[in-house]
Amino acid sequence: MKHLKSVLFLMIAFMLVLSACGGTTPEAPAAEAPAAEAPAAEEPAAEAPAPTFSGTATITFTQEPDNLNPMYTSMSFSGYLRPFYLVPSWSFDETGNPVPVLVAEIPTAENGGLSADGQSVTFKLRDDVTWSDGEPLTADDYVFTYEMIMSDKNVPQSRYPYEEYVTSVVAEDPTTVVITFNKPFAAWSTSLFYWLLPKHILQPVFEADGTIDNAEWNRNPTVGVGPFVLSEWETGSHLAFVANPNWINPPKLEQVFVRIVPDDAAQEAAIIAGDTDIGVFLSADQIEKVEEGGTVKVIAVDSGYNEAWFLNVNPDTTHPAMLDVNVRKAVALATDRFTIVKDLLSEDINPVNVTFWDATPPYQTDTLEPYPYDPEQAKELLDAAGWVDSNGDGVREKDGIDLKLRYITNTRELRKNMQAVVEQQWKLVGIGVELINHSSDIFWNGYNDGGPQAQGLYEIAQYSSVQNSYPDPDASSGWVCDQIASADNPDGANTQGYCNPEIDKLMAEQATTLDPGKRKELYNQIQQIIYDDYVYIGIWQDPDLWSLNNRLTGVKFSGVYPFWNVSEWEIVE
Amino acid sequence: MTNYILRRLAQAIPQLFIISIILFVLMQAFGDPIATLGGRIPPRPEDKERLRRQMGLDQPVYMQYVTWLVGNDWNKIDMDGDGISETPGKRTGILRGDWGNSLVTRQPVIKMIGERLPNTLLLMLTVEVIIIIFSLTLGLVSALRPYSVFDNVVTGLSFIGYSMPVFWLALSLMYIFAVNFRRWGLPYLPTVGMYDPAVGKTPFELFKHMILPVTTLSIISIAGYSRFVRSSVMEVLGEDYVRTARAKGLRSMLVVGKHALPNAALPFITLIGLDLPFLLAGAVVTERIFAWPGMGRLFIDHTERADFPVLMGILMLIALAVVVFQIITDIVYSFVDPRIRLE
Amino acid sequence: MTDSSTQIPQVNPPMLSPMALAVRRFRKHTMAMVGLGILVLLIFYVSFAGMLLRGYCVPLKQELRGEAWANCNDTGSKLLPPSSEHLFGTDVIGRDILARTVYGGQISVLIGISAAIVEVLLGAVIGSLAAYYGGWIDNILMRITEAMLTIPSLFLLIIGARFFGNSLPSVYILGRELTGSVLAIVLIIGVTSWMYLARIVRANILSLREQDFISAARALGASDRRIIFVHLLPNTLAPLIVSATLGVAAAIISEAYVSFLGLGVQGATATWGNMLDGAYRYLETAPWLWFFPGTLILLTVLGINFVGDGLRDALDPRSGRRM
Repeated sequence: MKHLKSVLFLMIAFMLVLSACGGTTPEAPAAEAPAAEAPAAEEPAAEAPAPTFSGTATITFTQEPDNLNPMYTSMSFSGYLRPFYLVPSWSFDETGNPVPVLVAEIPTAENGGLSADGQSVTFKLRDDVTWSDGEPLTADDYVFTYEMIMSDKNVPQSRYPYEEYVTSVVAEDPTTVVITFNKPFAAWSTSLFYWLLPKHILQPVFEADGTIDNAEWNRNPTVGVGPFVLSEWETGSHLAFVANPNWINPPKLEQVFVRIVPDDAAQEAAIIAGDTDIGVFLSADQIEKVEEGGTVKVIAVDSGYNEAWFLNVNPDTTHPAMLDVNVRKAVALATDRFTIVKDLLSEDINPVNVTFWDATPPYQTDTLEPYPYDPEQAKELLDAAGWVDSNGDGVREKDGIDLKLRYITNTRELRKNMQAVVEQQWKLVGIGVELINHSSDIFWNGYNDGGPQAQGLYEIAQYSSVQNSYPDPDASSGWVCDQIASADNPDGANTQGYCNPEIDKLMAEQATTLDPGKRKELYNQIQQIIYDDYVYIGIWQDPDLWSLNNRLTGVKFSGVYPFWNVSEWEIVE
Repeated sequence: MTNYILRRLAQAIPQLFIISIILFVLMQAFGDPIATLGGRIPPRPEDKERLRRQMGLDQPVYMQYVTWLVGNDWNKIDMDGDGISETPGKRTGILRGDWGNSLVTRQPVIKMIGERLPNTLLLMLTVEVIIIIFSLTLGLVSALRPYSVFDNVVTGLSFIGYSMPVFWLALSLMYIFAVNFRRWGLPYLPTVGMYDPAVGKTPFELFKHMILPVTTLSIISIAGYSRFVRSSVMEVLGEDYVRTARAKGLRSMLVVGKHALPNAALPFITLIGLDLPFLLAGAVVTERIFAWPGMGRLFIDHTERADFPVLMGILMLIALAVVVFQIITDIVYSFVDPRIRLE
Repeated sequence: MTDSSTQIPQVNPPMLSPMALAVRRFRKHTMAMVGLGILVLLIFYVSFAGMLLRGYCVPLKQELRGEAWANCNDTGSKLLPPSSEHLFGTDVIGRDILARTVYGGQISVLIGISAAIVEVLLGAVIGSLAAYYGGWIDNILMRITEAMLTIPSLFLLIIGARFFGNSLPSVYILGRELTGSVLAIVLIIGVTSWMYLARIVRANILSLREQDFISAARALGASDRRIIFVHLLPNTLAPLIVSATLGVAAAIISEAYVSFLGLGVQGATATWGNMLDGAYRYLETAPWLWFFPGTLILLTVLGINFVGDGLRDALDPRSGRRM
């Protein structure tokens, strides 16, 4: 017995040592940071007497933001939070219209903000905006942000669009920023300065460390510009934002909590239990269950995404049959996407989509209809193309090659289910299929790392996608010839091997066309050509589904910045 | 003794070295971390090329390993993409205490692990204490009355617990005690997280949030441990010296307390000693379901994004702990059982 | 407390062979017999129930039997509760769950047994080589074993799943086409679970090696291979059998875990594990989705564990268990 005691004692002693080690080291920096920044953030709060805040809204995220400095991440979840602590120059409301935030007005040709040749834009800033520590926000912050993105001493996530289009960013006076382009740039309004870095915080860091890659602000942006200020980020658990009383449009809520709940089922339980006011990325089959209690409703918000099949037409990698447009057409006609959408998702929320731009108004097609389901015509097309089942094994063949297609997607359950349904539908017309699922990181692997999508190890690849600068329609890279991925061009974004000179010409033209009407006309032509080439088969429109508890009012989700109007949110018990 | 410890530590160094190489090679089976950096939108080709170069991912595997091990501050890297390496490296390597930065969050790995480790230890040590108490009690009583009704019930239940997939149990408990209890107007437990942010980080909140994950993990593990205690106690009870003691008329409790328990404790200590370092790893599935911000979840989240510096950090930390605990277990062993001597 | 009566008969010396003794002990082990009963029923279920299964597949417009019926999906009749037509209900794309538990069971049991075979082979070979040759061979093999043991098994499974991933070709077993992922899962589970067994075998053989009958065999000029496989391994059979049995149970559970994390068997092939994958989202609304495969896993694992426990008590009453 004595021995046992001494053993237990040893064990406990060791545990204490362990927990002590674990406890002190990590918490020290976390505790220091707020202490250092807190006075600055709280002082004005004490002075300003009036605005009353009440209530705490809770949001669940299924993934944790990577980094709160937007220069170092392009993850959606990090972006969603920015309307709290780092607002854009202008927002987009729930109908997709721009709403000025940091600027006094949206630059247009009429107000002189946009030059006649389309090669320069002038931002007129409001003069009453301050960072949450009281420091005024000026044109210098714009210039600093541009310099940080372009500096070779930093490792930013992306230099788009500054690298390709911007030649200079100049602060003419504290409230005037002039940005010049090297050529007319159509997508400027959705991709320029939708976040800013605080020069007065980060400039000293840059001078001291030679880089801002490791700045404490990246992890703890306790000085921000927006209706809320980050008060705490407990990794893996939650982020807390408190109201910023000095904001030009003070919020009504006192706090917003963002809880990290990585499991869909657990999030669903939290939504139903009322533990969270807003849930993220629901699937259509959850709607009924979540709304059952009457306190929660699900809201679909277009964010440009469409689930689709990308057909591989690269002669070096694909099945020979796929090079025949009639076989591709037969594949489309043999697939009953309408039933799949009706039974596995929701016809209303996820209708079958037609082209890549279905969810990018106003550039969606006005004339085209989804490819119909017509297995009889599919059979005729295949027969005519010479693909017949002569050996009676249920799969057509030609010149000794089976019509068996590799159908790849990731491991998401809905996609796996759809694969099984498609396999059976194709049995009716004699198309064989090999179903392949990769985990997402493997699926998106680069060309040189054997990425199945990049290397074209498929005939049909299914995923949900959107153009980089949504809501701008510009999606040139995925569709033009010189972007075809290959050993010589391993980072090429065109992984389908699709090459149509017509498309190349139109894509180049639309990128520099500033007139929305003319641009839409160009996109109509682009969509018609891709439609007729049968290289993109739409499956379903893929809006983001948010759940919203009735007790939280005033929420208007937008597809660009879902939480753009957080100042107007209010808790009603 | 000191010599023994020193010798064991010296042996541990090449072992850790081998482990690190094996792991680093295995990491190559993961996807391209740059390809998933963009979240739902794959990064632009120009950015991919630049990020790989600036982060050193364009280097051959052995160079990446060398950088991970001893750093690159003796070398220059090409930050501006002109093909000439001009900027001195900043990494100092794990041997000099630099565990590297996460490719995804850009944060230092050691800091990320440090933020999760206390949460995992809190959860897992609680579980371990409960497991030890329950499995000792249940195992002992079962062993003293083998094949009695009590023993059979405990055995049956523990087998059921042991045979249950953990996610199945976790979600059942969550739906009963968190969702349905709330619906029925009963006192209910929270679904996920460590505490309700609105209430704050109070001990009571923490306690409430720990009930379900701790229960899940305990049910799964008590089963195996108590079976283990039962069989080692029964084994000792079958030994000649115990029978002799009993035959001499010593009271049962005394026999059990003085002879059987200490001897049966030996394998149990080994078992716990071998298991303790794995507590650092947390419980991947349980942490995921209950959104417990521990090491297991850190591992899973960063596996999906092929963030190898973080994965290497976690695995090497565990490997280090295992090696240390093996030595500790051996030492404890020699205290408990004087028959064992470390030369 | 009085001495328990069970110990006295064992002291009586009836002249029985060790094997007969073991059988006798096993048959007296109530739980083991219950476990055996459960397993026999389950084996009948997954082997023969398929012959009785048939149904009209609406989208294909034909009557199907057996596995074809198990893979027939009809999204129009998804998530139907159990009824006379679908005794166990239907899943998210309208497949018959009864049929899928039968055919999924075959794969799960196949995975369990194959993975256990891989585990036992690796464990026995590595353990006996290390023990028999000793020296630097022992040193290297045991360092590798220890290195593997320092990585938590679920982490190993995850990394293994990436490593083998989609790189393996399809195989045909018993007339069924199995995707490469089945083979991958078997390898992953087998390759990540042999370490304890190797240690047990090594320890056993180390103690056997010095015994007289081995010295005798060696003196008679028996080859190393003969000594290992004819004399040493059979004498360490008891822990091997027990480990193999429990290994099957552990592998079935591992398959469910790997599936839960989305890395399991892919394609239309059902397994109990991948039937549970995603089904947990319907914990409340469609309990039949998880209830039947979950219960079958539970029963199988339970049965195997009961039997394994009985085997241990019967074959090797002194051995402990490390789980």
